[in-house]
Amino acid sequence: MNRFAPFEWIAAMRFMREGLAQTLLIIVGVALGVGVIVFMSALIAGLQSNIIRRTLNYVAPIVVVPPEQVARPQRGERSAALATVVQPRSQQLRSIDQWQKALTQIRRLPEVVAATPVVSGPGFALRGDASNSVSMTGIEPDSYLQVIGLGDKIVAGRLLLGTNDMVIGTELARDLGAGVGDKLRLTTATGGTETLTVTAIFDFGNKGVNERNVYVGLRTAQNLLDLTGGVSSINVKVQDPFAAETIAQTIQGQTGLEADSWIKTNAQFFTAMAAQSLSNTLIRFFVGLTAALGIASVLVVSVVQKSKEIGILRAMGTSRGQVLRLFLLQGAFMGLVGSLFGSALGWAFLLVWRGIALNPDGTPIFVIVLEPSLFLIAAAGATLVGTLAAVIPARRAARLDPAVAIRG
Amino acid sequence: MVEAAETLRLEGVRKSYNTGTPLEAEVLHGIDLRLARGEFAALIGPSGSGKSTLLNVIGLLDPPNAGRLLIEGRESSSLDDAQTTRLRGRAIGFVFQYHYLLPAFTALENVMMPVLAARGRPDSEMRATAAELLDKVGLTRWRDKKTAELSGGQQQRVAVARALAMKPALVLADEPTGNLDTQSADGVFEVLRKVNRDGGTTFLIVTHDPRLAQRCDRIIELVDGRIVADRPNVPSGG
Repeated sequence: MNRFAPFEWIAAMRFMREGLAQTLLIIVGVALGVGVIVFMSALIAGLQSNIIRRTLNYVAPIVVVPPEQVARPQRGERSAALATVVQPRSQQLRSIDQWQKALTQIRRLPEVVAATPVVSGPGFALRGDASNSVSMTGIEPDSYLQVIGLGDKIVAGRLLLGTNDMVIGTELARDLGAGVGDKLRLTTATGGTETLTVTAIFDFGNKGVNERNVYVGLRTAQNLLDLTGGVSSINVKVQDPFAAETIAQTIQGQTGLEADSWIKTNAQFFTAMAAQSLSNTLIRFFVGLTAALGIASVLVVSVVQKSKEIGILRAMGTSRGQVLRLFLLQGAFMGLVGSLFGSALGWAFLLVWRGIALNPDGTPIFVIVLEPSLFLIAAAGATLVGTLAAVIPARRAARLDPAVAIRG
Repeated sequence: MVEAAETLRLEGVRKSYNTGTPLEAEVLHGIDLRLARGEFAALIGPSGSGKSTLLNVIGLLDPPNAGRLLIEGRESSSLDDAQTTRLRGRAIGFVFQYHYLLPAFTALENVMMPVLAARGRPDSEMRATAAELLDKVGLTRWRDKKTAELSGGQQQRVAVARALAMKPALVLADEPTGNLDTQSADGVFEVLRKVNRDGGTTFLIVTHDPRLAQRCDRIIELVDGRIVADRPNVPSGG
């Protein structure tokens, strides 16, 4: 008997050792449950952060654009006629009014990691007889690379953007038969034409993007799109991509410009992610519930089996509180020990999975981050669930009438 | 006032079961009983006469429906649940027909259990006291055995030692030898007598066995919930 352990602890340990088979069975059950939860959580979190990282690599979390132009029908005061159909106005390419001021304002927000001005518009890339319609993006490379991970995607050449340089995707390079150092002509609908040298080729792993996107210097794009001194949008990177919508609203409120978050522009994608999170939560809930029911049923059986012994403990002067704690402790202990084994099990699953799910080049498909907090939360959660599961049997034991327990 | 020498006093104690239902049945019809300190009394009577019920009422396991119950001068009806539990743990020791030892613990630990529950943590003093008690009931050699490894007589002697762990003023024994063969029964009875003689502990022993009752100092006879005879007895046969 450990001299420093309180009565409840000593009795709880002995009771669990006495029913060792039951105790082990339920600990294994809890361990499996926690293992599944840890594995699923890490897997889904890894999957999501992976998808988000890949997606947000070429999508800015927030894009700030000039407010939409609306048609305002002009009517004389006396005219009673009411226009039933108002044709929406076509949106011409415009600059953000006083964009430097807006940029400074946005960069000052604490949630904003980086912001970069962008001039973008449609154009044609021509080489010899071949031509391709492209989406031209004029950037300031230094600040742009802080928002969009273009630098990691360069597969040939170096990312240099002087006034006569351009960066194109692998698909466009193939279509036009161009390589690093070759010259292409870019034209736009407003009549701008420039001949630029390909300094680098990127591969975003997306055919459409690789075919359409063309990066040029900010000034080059301003000239081509007839937007001298202006920018068409500001791309913003934020700390927490899931908070992008709220931050976008803050920006909208502060600058009077229109700010669209990736959550709004990729609603479909975001819904899919949210559904995934929800199903993960549901799985966790039901696995947790199953473990809790297991613990509760084992303890209920134990209370029934030991009712005479509990009665005699009570007759000897053990208080209701002591009996209650005795059983709560058993639940907490089984939850905690089960969760420790379960965490180890989940960890092992993840390591095995990381070794199996590989890209053809041998790198893991998912970068699974083993976060200590996940294990701590699982352990704390399982202990709590175990304690809660023990509440009903513990109360039942504490309420046992010693006279009835001994007699019956 | 109640004299300090009085361990137990019952005045007009009544006990009914299923009160308020058509099945209501009064088991004890006004019991008056006093036990002085150091008495060694037998409670006899036919099955169904209310012996066990009376013992449960005296043991504060079942509250009476009417009448007064005083243990060492303390009125039981004035106590709440926690105080009742405390008084029961401190003043009363139980020995049942079945020993109800905790099989997960050794003989010594079972004897320590009431003190452990009261104090919360084990200490060397309660261990020494428990060892002393086991010595008194002649089980020193078996004190570290799990109770399932002991014989019926030995288990019952552990239960007696446990009943004495809190140094109670009153020990209630319900057929303490009912499950034992004659030889073991004699052994357990001898232990009870010895504790009574050495420590002045008051005993009330429910028994069916006239041979056993004849060895007590006083015989109280209960029939149909009433005390019909209460006489002193000169112990016979040791």
